[in-house]
Amino acid sequence: MAVKAKQLISDLKNGLWQENPIIRLVIGMCPTLAVTNTTENGLAMGLATSFVLIASEIVISLIKKLIPANVRIPSYILIIATFVTFVDYFLKAFFPGIAESLSIFVPLIVVNCLILGRQEAFASKNPTRRAIADGVGMGLGFTWVLVVLGAIREFFGMGSIFGFTLLGEWYRPMVIMVLPAGAFITLGILVGIMNYISREGK
Amino acid sequence: MEEFTQILLLFISTVLINNFILVRFLGICPFLGVSKQVETAFSMGLATTFVMTLTAAATWLINTFILEALNLPFLQYVSFIIVIASLVQFVEMFIKKTSPVLYKALGIFLPLITTNCAIMGLALLIPLNGYSFIASVVFGFGAGVGFTLAIVLMAGLREKLEFGDVPGVLKGVPVTLIIAGIMAMAFMGFSGLISM
Amino acid sequence: MEKNSTKNLILTLSIIGIVSALLLTFVYQWTTPYIQANQAETLRQAISEVLPGSEEVEEVEIEGEVFYEGFDVQGNRVGVAYQNSGGGYNGSIELMVGVDLDSEEIIRISIVNHQETPGLGARITDEEYKSNFSGKPFGDYTVVKTPPSETMEVQAIAGATISSSKTTRIVEEAVSIINNAYGGGS
Repeated sequence: MAVKAKQLISDLKNGLWQENPIIRLVIGMCPTLAVTNTTENGLAMGLATSFVLIASEIVISLIKKLIPANVRIPSYILIIATFVTFVDYFLKAFFPGIAESLSIFVPLIVVNCLILGRQEAFASKNPTRRAIADGVGMGLGFTWVLVVLGAIREFFGMGSIFGFTLLGEWYRPMVIMVLPAGAFITLGILVGIMNYISREGK
Repeated sequence: MEEFTQILLLFISTVLINNFILVRFLGICPFLGVSKQVETAFSMGLATTFVMTLTAAATWLINTFILEALNLPFLQYVSFIIVIASLVQFVEMFIKKTSPVLYKALGIFLPLITTNCAIMGLALLIPLNGYSFIASVVFGFGAGVGFTLAIVLMAGLREKLEFGDVPGVLKGVPVTLIIAGIMAMAFMGFSGLISM
Repeated sequence: MEKNSTKNLILTLSIIGIVSALLLTFVYQWTTPYIQANQAETLRQAISEVLPGSEEVEEVEIEGEVFYEGFDVQGNRVGVAYQNSGGGYNGSIELMVGVDLDSEEIIRISIVNHQETPGLGARITDEEYKSNFSGKPFGDYTVVKTPPSETMEVQAIAGATISSSKTTRIVEEAVSIINNAYGGGS
């Protein structure tokens, strides 16, 4: 039953690049595109999703033996929805500004295929410690892409990052970057670049 | 008459101006995943429209008569997702029994719809916008039509793209995203269509 | 015991459902006071922004509408504020309008809540746009794209004409609601 530390580290690293949820698996796209108009929103969404992912992976890997196979999916969805509601109320109570700007994309974490997918693919088959490592890795992998995307869009679209103005008055913002069209195009180019890098590495 | 105009405007703005996929970013997963062929894209759109219209009606009833009446707002997300999952299951069983032809066309897409965030997004937007029952159903139907429109257009473009010379690293997802971006720009042209 | 028997399936789902409902009830009760405090704080800030100099605010209900009357240190009424909302470009816009009833002018407006596009429609929260309304007499406003030359003209934000004109309509409506409730409109 002993799980080697090496195994845990490789589970953790898996989500960061090799099986990065956005770049590699192309799942969880709705929030990726919708809330990355600023760096801060991207970070907040990444952390909120990571919390739900890790918490659900822990609970599900703990009780996996008690859930009959036929109601596996409904049970997972119920557990995920509970954590999402928790995050939503928590943000509304303590970080009202962030809750406001993420609006319906916080409750939509429920249907983020990334979360349900990891429960099916990982948490329901592996011990809790490995599930935690997987959740943290996937969560971080999701978060960093969101932050990078948010930073690129905010930089070009508003000339700032994390709300700090970097480019002076002379800069005429490329408004298209913060609009839906900019989201699609930036992510498309980003995925292309990542494909290029990982192909070079081989 | 006044009301009818309002409903018609709501429908048009849901389909074109606030398109679920291209403007609201809801339902991106099937948009990228099931848009390789026009025919399958259309079936997916049809199945989604069907479930969306039903979901709009069901969630409005539940939200108004159960959640708001009993003051249980914190159970909104849990109950909506249960409603959607059961509805999809029910629709699947119903179609299987009544129309094998339709089942053959839509069957494989139905389970995918549960985790389509466009459906959940629709359920969440209805109480947020405070629509009446009829407006909700029209909103649900319009959202479905808009979804179908975007996914079929995308599939048409991707069929053509098969013959294009796309740089290797951009093949597949990246080029689809870039096309979606250009489509989103085109749809921005509709934004001045109605001033409500 | 058969793990996949119907009884077992229902039992599992019910247990998860009950535990989840209990947990959420607790979360709801724990966070509600904070959420309400946040909302009250937002409201208070918006009122003090649109009625500068008001020390005390009184809630007044006239014909089912809630108005906020601000009074200064001497107890003189500074003005009346009203919160109105309406559809914007992306979602609903909520804003607070403060008016001076004696001079029949808008004092200031404040955007409480909106979902407009960052960098474009979201600039309705910029001072440059909001100050358009300060000192405007009651009535209907025209949205123009160039610097306003007449009193009733409001300059739209470049590239966000829809957000600008919808906001203007919400302000207009708020002004006429206040005016009607306080017996003006003559």
